[in-house]
Amino acid sequence: MTSYGDERPQWTPASRYRHALRLLTRRDLRVRYSTSVLGYFWSILDPLLMSAIYWFVFTQVFHRNADLEPYIVVLLTALLPWMWFTGAISDCTRAFLREAKLIRSTKIPRSIWVNRLVLSKGIEFLASLPVLALFAIFSGATVGPGLLLFPLAIVLQCVLTVGIGLIVAPLVVFFRDLERAVKLILRLAFYASPIVYGISDLSANYRSILSFNPLTGIFSLYRAGFFPEELDWFAVGMSALISVALLGIGVFVFSRLVRNVLKEI
Amino acid sequence: MVDVQPAPVIDIAVSDAGIRFRRNRRGRRSFKDLFAGRDRRSRPDEFWALRGVTFTVRQGESIGVVGRNGQGKSTLLKLVAGVMIADEGAVDVTGGVAPLIEITGGFVDDLSVRDNVYLTAGLHGMTKRMIDERFDEMIAFAEIGDFLDTPYKHLSSGMKVRIAFSVISSLDEPIVLVDEVLAVGDKVFREKCYRRIEEMKAAGRTLFFVSHNERDLRRFCDRGLYLDKGALVLDGPIDDVVDRYNDEHGIKK
Ligand SMILES: Nc1ncnc2c1ncn2[C@@H]1O[C@H](COP(=O)(O)OP(=O)(O)OP(=O)(O)O)[C@@H](O)[C@H]1O
Ligand SMILES: [Mg+2]
Repeated sequence: MTSYGDERPQWTPASRYRHALRLLTRRDLRVRYSTSVLGYFWSILDPLLMSAIYWFVFTQVFHRNADLEPYIVVLLTALLPWMWFTGAISDCTRAFLREAKLIRSTKIPRSIWVNRLVLSKGIEFLASLPVLALFAIFSGATVGPGLLLFPLAIVLQCVLTVGIGLIVAPLVVFFRDLERAVKLILRLAFYASPIVYGISDLSANYRSILSFNPLTGIFSLYRAGFFPEELDWFAVGMSALISVALLGIGVFVFSRLVRNVLKEI
Repeated sequence: MVDVQPAPVIDIAVSDAGIRFRRNRRGRRSFKDLFAGRDRRSRPDEFWALRGVTFTVRQGESIGVVGRNGQGKSTLLKLVAGVMIADEGAVDVTGGVAPLIEITGGFVDDLSVRDNVYLTAGLHGMTKRMIDERFDEMIAFAEIGDFLDTPYKHLSSGMKVRIAFSVISSLDEPIVLVDEVLAVGDKVFREKCYRRIEEMKAAGRTLFFVSHNERDLRRFCDRGLYLDKGALVLDGPIDDVVDRYNDEHGIKK
């Protein structure tokens, strides 16, 4: 056997973490796409089909009377990030259970099991953005400087999703019922967030209630580039506040539970 | 090689370590218990799988862990490997660990052998270049050169263990933990693994070895730890430890 001698890699905790994150993400993509021909298209087909359905229902069947046009862009600007959010959170309910064998045999920092899910769904989200661009161009949407807020929305959404993931993932290990509960809550959250509608369609009352949903502020940022009237700084502020608080709670819950999670899986 | 006598370095320091498990998985679990810190009181449905275990290991020592089934040997190795966290006391490990525990854990059924080697070795801390360099050697050791692009799930169970052993034992970490992984695999391969473990020992790695096989223990280890009901009852030369174990359980030579 040879020895690496001096060329042993000098890992810092951060570089080791990134290395593992990259490997796991690549593994997921490879597993997903090694067995499917259409690969990438499946991940955008889902939001596209949903958008098509809602577009049909609300413009052809019900004739919505709202100012936001084109409606397909209204839908896509929130549906694509929603897919990221809901995909990552529902994957997080199985974060530990699905990887139990691997977690039992390596000592990579355990937060990676949540972060990798948020990252890989986030990459799918970024990969789906060209679709939004195409629809925006062909439906004749107007673009404003609010588009610069897009990255802010992404950052906020990362904070929120990681925060919730850190809470949900370890708790599900002990309370399996939570898996079903989370699915249900996500379905509810779909309608309680401005996805098929915009906050500027709402009465002032509903609008202020909805501001306490952290997704409201995030979607308002995503939409700001196409629909300036959708930008609501109060909702954004609330969203930032709640997201950071959830992240704090998540870090606490996770660090407290991880010891028992390792025993349980 | 420069011939200097290194001062004995402490590789592993375990002081008063303990870990408890729940006996009854069905039992109710309250939020309060889950969130309680590490020094909460023990509950009736819990037991200590290890308690009050204290020892240190110097660099280059090879240690055999002896005890009947369910006395905490694997748990001790998991604490050292860092895949479980002690509820009491401290486990300090200096330097990296190559854990030959549940070795096939990181392997993905749907990926090819080649992808799996890169993935597992990478997760254990090898860079791509290091793996490139070692790849042929790892495959040759496992003798599965013809199956590089076969999905891992289509390997025989012995072949799965072979490639996993080959990868993890190539890690070049200063501490090596072996927990009965050699039980699978045919005789020829087992002998090959033994030779590799001996090489690692000769290269000055610290070796932690769990086995129920007396011959293996005497062959690889200098020092023994005897665990009984989660307590460390004897820490001494391997021959003494194995003899005491045999005495206590009425095994005649
Ligand atoms: N994750 C776990 N949850 C609950 N109990 C556990 C867990 N892991 C181990 N135990 C218990 O801890 C005790 C020690 O187990 P351990 O696997 O360390 O035994 P061992 O000495 O390795 O036995 P063997 O010789 O059979 O391998 C056993 O009673 C086992 O049931
Ligand atoms: Mg065991």
